[in-house]
Amino acid sequence: MKDVETRPRRYSRVIILTILLASLPLIVGFSLLVISSFSTEMVTNLNPSSFHLTLENWISVFHGKLATTGGIRAPILRITLNTLIVALGVAGVVTAVSALAGYSLSRVNFRGRKHMMILLLVLHAFPGVALIVGVYLLYRLTFPQSMDIVRLYSFMYVIFARAALEIPMSVWLMKGFFDTIPWEFEWSGIIDGASRITVWRKIMLPLIKPGILAVALFAFLAGWQDIIYVRTFLIDQTLATFIEANIEAEFSHMPMIAAAGTLYLLPTIIFFITAQQLLLQGYSGGIKG
Amino acid sequence: MNVKREKLTTLSFFLSPMAVMVVLFYLVPLIMTVYISFTRMRNWNVSKYLTEFVGFYNYHRLLYMFQHDPTFKAVLLTTVVFVGITLIINVFGGLALALATFFIEDKPASAFRLLWLLPRMSPIAVYSLVWYYFFHGSEIGTLNSILMKLGVISQPIPWGQIVPWGAWSIIIFVNGLVGVSFGMIVFTSALNQIPKELVIAARVDGASSWQISRRILIPMIRWHLLYVLTWQFLSLLTTYPHLFLLVQWDLVNGDYGTTLALYVFNTAFGMGEQDQGLAAAAAVLLSVIGIIGGFVTLKVLKFERMMKRPRGDF
Amino acid sequence: MRARVIWLVALVLLGVVASGCISGGGGTQTSSAKIQLTGDFTKDAVAVGKALQQNGISEVRFSAWGSGDPNSVMRVYGIVEAARRINRIWEKNGIKVKITITDTHYVASFQDAYKEYLSKQPLGQAGDFFVNSYAFLPTLADEGYILDITDYAKAYKSVIDDFYPSLIEASKFKGRLYGLPQDTEARPLYIRKDVAARIGLNLNGLDGKVKNGEFTWSDVYMWAKKAKESGVEWGLIHRKGSAHPDLIQFIFAFGGKLYDPNTGKLVVDVPAVYKWLYVEWKFARDGLLPKDIMSWDWAKQIHPTVVEGKTLFDIGGTWYWTEWQTKQYYNGRSLTPEEVRKWFYYTLFPAGEKGDKPVTLSQPFIWMINSKAGQQNPKYDELKDVYHELAFLMVVKASDPDINAIHSVISAHLPVRKAAAKLIKDEKWLNDLKNLNLDLDPAVKDNIKDIVKATVNPINAEFLANVSYMLEYTHLAPAHPKYPALADIFKEAVDRVLRGEMTPKDAVNFIIQKVKADSELAQNVEIVGKIPENWKFPQ
Repeated sequence: MKDVETRPRRYSRVIILTILLASLPLIVGFSLLVISSFSTEMVTNLNPSSFHLTLENWISVFHGKLATTGGIRAPILRITLNTLIVALGVAGVVTAVSALAGYSLSRVNFRGRKHMMILLLVLHAFPGVALIVGVYLLYRLTFPQSMDIVRLYSFMYVIFARAALEIPMSVWLMKGFFDTIPWEFEWSGIIDGASRITVWRKIMLPLIKPGILAVALFAFLAGWQDIIYVRTFLIDQTLATFIEANIEAEFSHMPMIAAAGTLYLLPTIIFFITAQQLLLQGYSGGIKG
Repeated sequence: MNVKREKLTTLSFFLSPMAVMVVLFYLVPLIMTVYISFTRMRNWNVSKYLTEFVGFYNYHRLLYMFQHDPTFKAVLLTTVVFVGITLIINVFGGLALALATFFIEDKPASAFRLLWLLPRMSPIAVYSLVWYYFFHGSEIGTLNSILMKLGVISQPIPWGQIVPWGAWSIIIFVNGLVGVSFGMIVFTSALNQIPKELVIAARVDGASSWQISRRILIPMIRWHLLYVLTWQFLSLLTTYPHLFLLVQWDLVNGDYGTTLALYVFNTAFGMGEQDQGLAAAAAVLLSVIGIIGGFVTLKVLKFERMMKRPRGDF
Repeated sequence: MRARVIWLVALVLLGVVASGCISGGGGTQTSSAKIQLTGDFTKDAVAVGKALQQNGISEVRFSAWGSGDPNSVMRVYGIVEAARRINRIWEKNGIKVKITITDTHYVASFQDAYKEYLSKQPLGQAGDFFVNSYAFLPTLADEGYILDITDYAKAYKSVIDDFYPSLIEASKFKGRLYGLPQDTEARPLYIRKDVAARIGLNLNGLDGKVKNGEFTWSDVYMWAKKAKESGVEWGLIHRKGSAHPDLIQFIFAFGGKLYDPNTGKLVVDVPAVYKWLYVEWKFARDGLLPKDIMSWDWAKQIHPTVVEGKTLFDIGGTWYWTEWQTKQYYNGRSLTPEEVRKWFYYTLFPAGEKGDKPVTLSQPFIWMINSKAGQQNPKYDELKDVYHELAFLMVVKASDPDINAIHSVISAHLPVRKAAAKLIKDEKWLNDLKNLNLDLDPAVKDNIKDIVKATVNPINAEFLANVSYMLEYTHLAPAHPKYPALADIFKEAVDRVLRGEMTPKDAVNFIIQKVKADSELAQNVEIVGKIPENWKFPQ
């Protein structure tokens, strides 16, 4: 796609081989995790005698159980759904907010623009784990009394609070992406008499799809794997807190944790594969939509 | 006058969602956190401790601990080494991966990107479990068993217990892998924004991949480089989740596997009590370091020059 | 588009303001209804049911939170069963109220469960019933997160008296009762019978010799050494980590203490700690105990080494007995009950030296009631006391001897009350449990049937009955908010000593230095005694 016509093939082989070598630990580590999820015992050394094929781990996980005997059946579908709600919610909020703010920081000149950028960066110096105390206070103050909306509110709050943590990073990223778009595209719209808002929506957004995807991907993953905010604020469980709470060095049947971990990875892998066409679809030279 | 009003509405349209989020979930909690660092807040008991003012007690307690804890020197050293080396790996590893996948076919490129994104996708506990078994210091450890099969070593090596470099290598490796994916994705998307014509033209002129990278690609993504560098620096300073279980499970030596952030976390939350006052004080201290560091990076990397005034504004 | 965003922002702001008002406005009304408990369970349950019915309540919703190993699920199902039993009493007496357990939350890590409870209790979102280690009880009680049941319990003196007194003490904070014991355990010293026979260690009556302090740690050392010399890989394997306070048994075995009830402070008993570390050091130096045991893997190293007979001694827990039967530690399979009985002998943790006493250690779990129990229900403010009384009655019911006995048998924990201890020796009852021929909620039966199948048999029941005498020798780790921090320091010191990075003397000084570094910890810990320089081990 990129420079196919002129690129020498030989080099690309060398590059692939190099990355492959660098990736070996990753490949080995994660392969063993997946293999172990089909075994009665964790496969960790290359000793085949520790592998005994079983589907029991996966069956248990689909029943929401992370124990060979006993344990409690957790509503695994519900938990997966909760995780999706949180992750998609965070991704949506972060993408929308940062696409708006990133544009104005890149394209509109106003006083305090630079300071705003620096403030955003500095905010990140404040670790989320400490911030959570303040966020908790606010939650406490705004917590609804009515039992009917408590669950809904806890989802809303987790999504917004967790999204806020991703905002500084995403706004910075988005600004960078808007910066790379040649100014001429925007001018053509403004000359036609469109407002900045229309220009942003009709011209700029389609042009920075890769940026939007990168931001959405990180936000999605942040929501998908968050533990601290979710455990503290969300009334229901998500996959991340479910796995975390059931991993205990002494009791846990690790192959089942491996199966749960693999299951947990699947939606994110699907998300990445379907979305990555967008990531690669760069600026193509024309104005769309 | 009218133009100004219009600009204001436009600006508020673009900026107000962010402003609301930042104020509500960042600035307000931040001020509250600073306030809480002066109280005896613990165990989330807001109603009991919110007004129990203790002055600089939490700060005092922390600083006293820093001075007298026999393991604190190791923690400090670990923090410096960890942040420094991991940062380099994160930024340059990410850049190398982005550039490398830029120059190869789409199919292997996206497979590699997915592979390198796995660490960030995995639940932290499961991710820790993977490396726990990989680096385990006995013959059950994957690395040991491979090396023993190859005949490189005859006895398992307790990697995480070789201080300091064994423990450091593991925590840097484990965190580096997570961080690399961040740089990789940011740089990949940035590289894809660069007009293809530039690359093709350079190719026609006979430039090598290396020359293209140095002359065209890297200068075009300077902003992203600055950003990833500063961002990762601040992240690394305050991160602990990927270290926590490795230390907890005794894979790595406690002293040389603990950074300042983890040390603080363990003191404030790790042991029965949840001491939010202490955590808040530590956060304030940590962020002072972070803010100073952040400003230094911005200065060194000439942030001012990059913040160009938008052209053709009205 | 713009309008929508503005609306959204406005909505968020409004929501914030509005809910702020709500939570500010909802004042506390004093509750008017309260029932005097009599101690006659049926009568009290009926009275509570009637009070609820009169107030138009037809359903009471509760949630139960538990944690621990997967076989200990009766920690939440006990509550489910208690609800059914009370529902039945109400039904029989024509009361149209029903208890529903809306949520059973059970996780493996009890520390995680505790953390979640801490943050959600103030929001009113934590479980109404919370089973967790007694170690957290003081903090929870001090913060007002759990219900003081002292007054309710007065009427139920006969039930309370049936519990082992030391466990009731563990459920108290500052003299007030905050829960009822749910289970406990002992930590025996396991001895491989096959290895013992090979090296000529006569196990006949050994538990008696341990009991009267004749067989001490010096003997353990001697035999461990003999085992090693005869070609067995290790002499001793012990547990690791700081969350489970196993190794501090040494402190008690050397006559030391960890807590001073007079000052309410933790104690670093220097002589006892020194002796403990010295024993560890000596064992590791002579290759009898792996020097890196603290980083061994539970499932791949510790348990397989023990069940495959690669060690003579193992300091474990009573739950090992069934764990070995349900998990595949032995060459890819689990042991049969007969094998466990054939291979393992068990005694108390021997005395440190002549003149000391043998010990064991327990970490009881306690049934605690949320101080906001019943909050999900209508008219909570008026009926608060009634809901609390009902919650108390449920915990009393969940402590029924049969429920407690079922839990003990299927999870290999020890019963907490005498009536339950008697029941596990009853063959007929045991047989009924094996066939699940008991009066239990179908949902509970369904959920425990696989555990029952795997664990209920006469050998395991006999084991439980045989080890229950150990409770007479039991010590509890101090229930002090700062204890986990101290336990962590101990663990670090043991690790260093085992690896040979520190001598026992250095390690003691390290502990003292670490304690003193944290001013808050230092205020809560007394350091007493001196290092006995001339102390010898083995004697």
